[in-house]
Amino acid sequence: MSIVLTNVTKSFSKPPIPMIKNINLTIEKGEFVSLTGKSGSGKSTLLYLISSLDMPTSGTIEIDGNNISKMNSKEIHSFRNKNMGFIFQFHYLLPEFTSLENVLMPARKAGLLKEKLILAEELFEKFDLKEKMHEPPGRLSGGQQQRVAIVRSMIMNPAYIFADEPTGSLDSSNGRKVMEIFKSINREDKTTIILVTHDTEFANYSSRKITLVDGEIQTI
Amino acid sequence: MFFIAYRQMTARKLQTFLTLLGIVFGSIAYIVISGVLLGFRVYLLEQLVNNDAHIKITPKVEIITPEKVYPLLYPDNKDISWFVPPSGKRDNSELRNAAHWFAILKDDEDIEAFSRQFSIRAIVSKGTQSDAAKLVGVEPYKHSRVTNISENIVTGKYSDLGETGSKIIIGEGLSENLGIRLNDTIFLSSGMGKTLPFKVVGSFRTGNKGIDDSVCYASLNDVQLLNRTSGKISTISIRLKDVNKVKIKTKEWSRLNLESVESWEDTNASFLTIFKMQDTIRYSVTIAILVISGFGIYNILNVLINQKKREIAILRSIGFESKDINLIFLIQGVILGLVGSILGMLVGYLICLKLSTISFSSPYLSTKTGKMLISYDLKIYFQAFFLAIFSTLLASILPARSAGKLQPIEIIRGEL
Repeated sequence: MSIVLTNVTKSFSKPPIPMIKNINLTIEKGEFVSLTGKSGSGKSTLLYLISSLDMPTSGTIEIDGNNISKMNSKEIHSFRNKNMGFIFQFHYLLPEFTSLENVLMPARKAGLLKEKLILAEELFEKFDLKEKMHEPPGRLSGGQQQRVAIVRSMIMNPAYIFADEPTGSLDSSNGRKVMEIFKSINREDKTTIILVTHDTEFANYSSRKITLVDGEIQTI
Repeated sequence: MFFIAYRQMTARKLQTFLTLLGIVFGSIAYIVISGVLLGFRVYLLEQLVNNDAHIKITPKVEIITPEKVYPLLYPDNKDISWFVPPSGKRDNSELRNAAHWFAILKDDEDIEAFSRQFSIRAIVSKGTQSDAAKLVGVEPYKHSRVTNISENIVTGKYSDLGETGSKIIIGEGLSENLGIRLNDTIFLSSGMGKTLPFKVVGSFRTGNKGIDDSVCYASLNDVQLLNRTSGKISTISIRLKDVNKVKIKTKEWSRLNLESVESWEDTNASFLTIFKMQDTIRYSVTIAILVISGFGIYNILNVLINQKKREIAILRSIGFESKDINLIFLIQGVILGLVGSILGMLVGYLICLKLSTISFSSPYLSTKTGKMLISYDLKIYFQAFFLAIFSTLLASILPARSAGKLQPIEIIRGEL
């Protein structure tokens, strides 16, 4: 159970400008990896490539032995649904649904709504959101919304959680709370966490820091 | 997917309500317009089909031209020039091949009944009052099998007409104009002989003012006697077992080239043209309304998709496929179509019920109930339903497809 990147390059625009340059990287199961670097260094682009949201221009990315470039749309979506959790800088919760319904959205897609209800309630309890379970996201604070988004990413017990600047829209106190949660998920559930952050304090929560400069890995 | 679609719709109540309103109005318009137009049409068609024969055989009218006269008058001379060339028509009020027709019609299995008629113009007088009328001489029993005249009797009894005895049944309008009552004796003159008395044994109302004001029926023998044309007939009226065979039979008998064969459709071609125009207007109005509401749905879904891009991105990232997103928006269109058309049908039906209680009177057309005639044909409701579903589905497909095509990474990167 690992993620293996071999000679991965990603280019944009015409003529092509490489944002990610020939990266070779292996992330083992249960690691807590942070991707750091300056703005425009390619850390978010690398995260999206690793998480199958984007496809490399060249090179291969294997997740649990599956080459994602060779998986069809149905396989990728099913894999994402069952094995990956996503957290973005903005919570991206669906405003028409309650927090609980938002959290159960991946389970709804997988047809596991009833099975995951107890876990959802446990997670709400764990993250001190029990009272907000039936509230729409609009009635939650920024920190609470991001915690609901984290609960959503965990509902399918994914092997991987991908977080893109999850503390970006939070104050430092809430930011620290979120990082503590990541640390505990990684420690208790052995979930592989790949986190993009430009904040060195938050990067220190990870077990491995990868710094990118101009699309290349500078330090691991 | 249904749950997500439903929630998104109920979350923006005003938008959904306004969109729904367009579809509801479209469906109501179709049902009410169709109900009124078809209600009268069914009544009119029934009148046209049943008040008269399905097919009529009448003498041919020949137009006279020099070419036709030439060989008859001067078979050997080819150099004739006319000061005043012959013109006009060879009018023949008598059916010459009647016996031949009877032989053909008697054995035809498609025929329900046929009867002989002799029609003349006559002056009807009562006291000092008189009016011109069309006097139709019929074989009473046979004629009642060819048309539904016996059902249109308002006073007296049709069966009293009898084969002889100078009895007459007159149109209600004519009866009112001349102040004629049941059992009165009136006088008829054809201009060909003396004036004869007739006893009024009934009056009828077809709802067609043109007929009710000017037609009266007497026995064939009595009319022939009045006109001093014993044994002469001018029309054979035919009723078919299946009215849908009218075109086939008219064509078949016209090929014999004996007389003029005219179906009820030929006689009432102008009505049928009006019906076609009505259909065109009915469909145009409804389609226009549904196109407008369709554009409403299209615009609202497009705006919604633009507003929901980030939510679409997160749904895609948690495993929802392109087709799932497509389906969410398509379902919204279908729900709008379903609810809108059902509500529209219900309100349309209620409006029709109300309309059917409104009194209707026209100097040219009257209904038996005196109320508006409304059609509740299930076909109208099915058509309204499918038109609404079709237009909403069509309006939803494009936005839904564009939503399905959105790539999560492009939305997250902020490229869209």
